Amino acid sequence: MSIIEIKKLNKFYDESTHALKDIDLEIKEGEFLILLGLSGSGKSTLLRCLNRLIEPTDGEINFLGNDVVRANSTSLRSIRSDIAMIFQQFNLVKNITVLTNVLTGNLSKHSLFSRWTKEEKDLALANLKRVGLQDFAYRKVRNLSGGQQQRVAIARALMQKPKLILADEPVASLDPATADSVMNYLGTLNKEDGITVVCSLHFLSLARKYGSRVVALKDGKVKFSGSPNDIDDKKFKEIYGEDAEEVEIR
Amino acid sequence: MLNIKKLFTKQKFIANIIDYSIALYIGATLAFLLNYWLEMTINPTIVFAEATLLYAIFIALPNTPGKSLYKERENHVKFLSQFYHYVYALLISLTIIVGWIMVEIEPLEFLTGMQGTRNIVRGIFHPDQDIFWKMVSELVKTIYLALMATVLAVPIAFFLSFLAASNLMNRTLIGKAVYAIIRTISTVIRSIEAIVWAIIFAVWVGIGPFAGMLALMVHSIAALVKLYSEQIENIDQGPIEAITSTGASTLQIWKYAVIPQIINPFLAFTIYRWDINVRMATIVGFVGGGGIGLQLFQKQQMTDWNGVGTIVWLIALAVWIMDMVSAEIRKKLLSN
Repeated sequence: MSIIEIKKLNKFYDESTHALKDIDLEIKEGEFLILLGLSGSGKSTLLRCLNRLIEPTDGEINFLGNDVVRANSTSLRSIRSDIAMIFQQFNLVKNITVLTNVLTGNLSKHSLFSRWTKEEKDLALANLKRVGLQDFAYRKVRNLSGGQQQRVAIARALMQKPKLILADEPVASLDPATADSVMNYLGTLNKEDGITVVCSLHFLSLARKYGSRVVALKDGKVKFSGSPNDIDDKKFKEIYGEDAEEVEIR
Repeated sequence: MLNIKKLFTKQKFIANIIDYSIALYIGATLAFLLNYWLEMTINPTIVFAEATLLYAIFIALPNTPGKSLYKERENHVKFLSQFYHYVYALLISLTIIVGWIMVEIEPLEFLTGMQGTRNIVRGIFHPDQDIFWKMVSELVKTIYLALMATVLAVPIAFFLSFLAASNLMNRTLIGKAVYAIIRTISTVIRSIEAIVWAIIFAVWVGIGPFAGMLALMVHSIAALVKLYSEQIENIDQGPIEAITSTGASTLQIWKYAVIPQIINPFLAFTIYRWDINVRMATIVGFVGGGGIGLQLFQKQQMTDWNGVGTIVWLIALAVWIMDMVSAEIRKKLLSN
């Protein structure tokens, strides 16, 4: 069953910047979909259109029977609460505690002045334990390393009990070893919790290791869709241009 | 291509303005010196004519201060291509000579005229102990004056700063207009010294601490609007994006992604402002703002140097303590 259906999605930033061109894409439940493509190919724009952090210009996005593009603010908030997002720069609030950052994943179930319940705090601590950071709950985020911050962001995402996780180059700011461990956490959530993951990446080796399918964008269009193992030298050059060489990271 | 060309001509235009201004400045300083040393009266028309002549020479030369802004150095005769160095040297020497004459600097007077200050210095080192407690109470009044000016300025500045933050306001035409108006007014108010505001308010509400407080408050609002709004402009958009993506409401986004980022810098600026206000309050007191500044003014008018001594030491102590405490608190706030 498909979790997201995208039809004829277009995004213009201004008259001359056509970031997404008639994107048609269906994402199945349980997939670990990798988005490849050069910087500026439209990966971030596509991800952000799915939860409307960026407003699409036209087209249709269907998320589990909900019309995302035409949703009013109330139903948009409820759609967003089912879709967690992870960012390249982690995007945590740096001068509050790790625990509060994780709890903010549950804001859609709160009003402005309601307090966090005991159950929520226990759940947040359990989620921190899953990413191996239970001892860091009461530390300020700014004192954590990049890899630790990204794991806090994963715990915040888990707090939403999401059906879909969007990851926008989640490992681009991390060293190779930490990158692999962060991808490993995302892989575990995909396999054990059955959460669908859509993740943009720059490294084919990670795409092959974790992805169940690869979609490659070039100039705002889908250039390739298929198994990561089907990307040979020829396909790779089609996606990244004639001069590109594959860089291996381990 | 069109844009580059436009930029180039704009740069060239600015370069010409700079060159002509320099020529005019050299002409004016020379006229001043001729007038001072030879008592020649020089007609402004002659200065302009001379400047235009110099400017014509500048145009002919390959490299002048203005041209050096946009032109690569060319390999002409070394003296000519490095000509703007000599122009700079001339500018600096002329400026210092004119400045020395105009400010009437007299080192001899400085070294020999110290006699007259003997009474003042003796007074300051023999403070009048009888008025100590009265002056302490005036000092406390001044600190409260500064505090009230800050406290009353904060909510107004807080509200206005959001309207003066370009990242929030540049989305709509009305927003841009409000932004421009608030920024302009606050710049104008800031550029008028607190002492001028004190003179205005001393007439408005009468001499006393209330006038001083109003003066400092007006100035503080304008200063804080600038500091606060710049802080809002510098916040990290990342957390806002992340909290939005969880399905949070706009007010929740403010509470969890915006406020945590600005609260400590805001508090730090506020305390810094109080610190500045305590110092300014004594000056403002001089012109009718009340508090210890007014006492200082009266004692000085009566040439009661012992009384002045008491006040000067008290102010120095208060400013020193405020300075230390506020620096320490700000350090704590900004490192968290």
